[in-house]
Amino acid sequence: MRSRSGLFSWFGAILRVAAVCAALLCLASCGIGQKKKVTVRFWNGFTGPDGRTMLRLVKRFNQENPDVNVLMQRMDWATYYNKLFVAGTGQRAPEMFIIHASRISRFMQADFIRPVDDLVRGSKGIDEKDLAANVWRAVEREGRHYAVPLDVHILGTYYNRKLLKQAGIVDAKGEPAPPADRAGFLAALEKLSKSSSPDKRQVWAYVFTWFETNLYTIMCQFGGKFFTDDYSRCILDNPENVEALQFCTDLIHKYKYVPQPENFESWIGFRQGRVAMVFEGIYMLADLQKQKDLDYGAAPLPQLGKEKVAWADSHTMCLRKDLNGKELEATWRFVKFLSDNSLDWAEGGQIPVRTSQRETERFRKMEPQYQFSRQLPYIRYLPQVPFIFEFQTEYDLALEIALRGTAPPKDALTSATLRINEILERRRAMLARANAGKAAAQERK
Amino acid sequence: MPSRKFLYRLSGYLFLLPYLALFLVFLVVPLVYGFGLSLFEWEMLSPAPARFIGFGNYAEALQSEYFWKAFWATFRFVVMAVPVNVCFALLIAVGINSISGRRQSFYRAAYFMPTIISISVAGILWRWFFNGEFGVFNALLEPFGLKGYWITKPTWAMKSVVLMTFWWCVGGPLVVLLAGLQHIPRHYYEAAAIDGASRLQQFTNVTLPLLRPVLLFVTVMNTIGSFQVFGQTFMITRGGPELSTRVLVQYIYETAFNNYRMGYGAAMSWLLFLAIALISVVYFRILREK
Repeated sequence: MRSRSGLFSWFGAILRVAAVCAALLCLASCGIGQKKKVTVRFWNGFTGPDGRTMLRLVKRFNQENPDVNVLMQRMDWATYYNKLFVAGTGQRAPEMFIIHASRISRFMQADFIRPVDDLVRGSKGIDEKDLAANVWRAVEREGRHYAVPLDVHILGTYYNRKLLKQAGIVDAKGEPAPPADRAGFLAALEKLSKSSSPDKRQVWAYVFTWFETNLYTIMCQFGGKFFTDDYSRCILDNPENVEALQFCTDLIHKYKYVPQPENFESWIGFRQGRVAMVFEGIYMLADLQKQKDLDYGAAPLPQLGKEKVAWADSHTMCLRKDLNGKELEATWRFVKFLSDNSLDWAEGGQIPVRTSQRETERFRKMEPQYQFSRQLPYIRYLPQVPFIFEFQTEYDLALEIALRGTAPPKDALTSATLRINEILERRRAMLARANAGKAAAQERK
Repeated sequence: MPSRKFLYRLSGYLFLLPYLALFLVFLVVPLVYGFGLSLFEWEMLSPAPARFIGFGNYAEALQSEYFWKAFWATFRFVVMAVPVNVCFALLIAVGINSISGRRQSFYRAAYFMPTIISISVAGILWRWFFNGEFGVFNALLEPFGLKGYWITKPTWAMKSVVLMTFWWCVGGPLVVLLAGLQHIPRHYYEAAAIDGASRLQQFTNVTLPLLRPVLLFVTVMNTIGSFQVFGQTFMITRGGPELSTRVLVQYIYETAFNNYRMGYGAAMSWLLFLAIALISVVYFRILREK
């Protein structure tokens, strides 16, 4: 019985601690309530080092604006979107939340985000011309802008300076020179594959990191299309995309420049100094900033096809649709604050959308961010479809199957195309039904 | 004035009421609601209102390649995980049972420990263990010139998940089986020993038959739990590679909460429920035969 009474006393102790905590929480919340602050709930998926940067900004805002209390909640992106969506459709969305630009169509359909055109153009607004034009366009649907972009994260080349030097991929001054075009890229792969590392470990010239961003970029560079212009049909298996995917598959299986994806942890490999080049997003910079023993560089992507393209996405700031009065004013003040201070945000591995900020000396000194930002004129976002998650599932699966060599690129892309067209077909039928319903309702009126 | 007997009966129901209320609100109502939902075409990403389509969602699921792929993945998990969990739990239980005193409680606690770790923590932990580059398993294999493709090859991934599940879940059945073992009267073994039965014979002729009800209970619970596998695969493999570990619950979750096809998701949940119910019936038949 002794152990049992021990258990009970433990349980009692826990209960007492819980009670005290609850009481303290009550007191704390009452204290906030008395000052009549406007509460702005702010949800996002910044669970990495970016979350700490954001938290600092939130704290600063709260200090500078004593009448507003911004409450930030972070959760993992994967579960974040589900929670946000459910909260939104249940009329419980936070006042402000972050959405990726590629997902705006989806949330627009759910109808709980507020167009921001009036606020941007209002007296306390943001100069539209100061926002990078193609990023500003990425949040536009049917003539209205649904968010204020906070940043733009572009794909670029990270390279290992030591390995490039060793392989003799250098410019006239002897500095490492990452390739800028297809011929240069292939030559670099050849040279790097032949040079060995000092500690005799296998070194790879290049690896695919996130298939989706890597291959989307390369396919677009080859001139590939994903949907017809009116988004009525998926044409993922067009010859340019097949050619691009074949090119990448050959790098792995035919030329053996690139390790088999299943045998290799790409990004970790780069961090360990066993990979010379990777294409990754600027947001991965935070990882490298922590690492002092890696001599890395950053550069725009090489042009592997006939066009210059770099994948990009943006964190955008959205407002709940039914905001008004004090709440709207306070939320907008916070949005503007973040936009005005996005250089602080950029420090941890982002690129500001405001041109005036990108042109500052301070940004010029953020070397990797600056290098990646040079691609801004030709960035490309994922297709703007509401069923983006279903599209990504099919697209990623096709890439995985092809790059692993389970099926030829053409077959993988064709079956993905078929399935995406089935989704489109299903959605078309639903839209037709919705329109028929609307028409019938109007007739009755 | 109501009779004493009536009041007595009423008090019984009153004691049941709290649980009954919870059972109704959180189990029966959602179950019925979910069944109703499964008969509708309802997509939250579509402006079209929900529409009654009868068993259309069920027909779609049964014709869908992805549904069967997910079902097959789930089935593979069940047929691997249940025997592994139950057999090893039995072996370990017999082992622990033969230890006496304080050390027994230590071992019991040690084996039970992983079970109380939350799946998110356990999942992340094992994703690191399985990591091809710096994972502990490959580090152990390296001196022998071996390399495991734990979660990177479709042929390996599910087995790795089963391995992790064993570590994470063995404690539950173990404790139940151990309790079962301790209820077998000592004198049966003494009698068997006097009759000249070896240790192995004692195990097969005394332990196993007397443990049968407990063993069946553990197997049933384990099977039901395994059909609902989600946390492990979701945390460790996210359903990959090439969807080889995307189990039914994950597919249902993605359908309902990523693609917002509520009706279709509900229909697949009911198909999973039917599969589990069917297998439970088979088990209980076996159980009753005795």
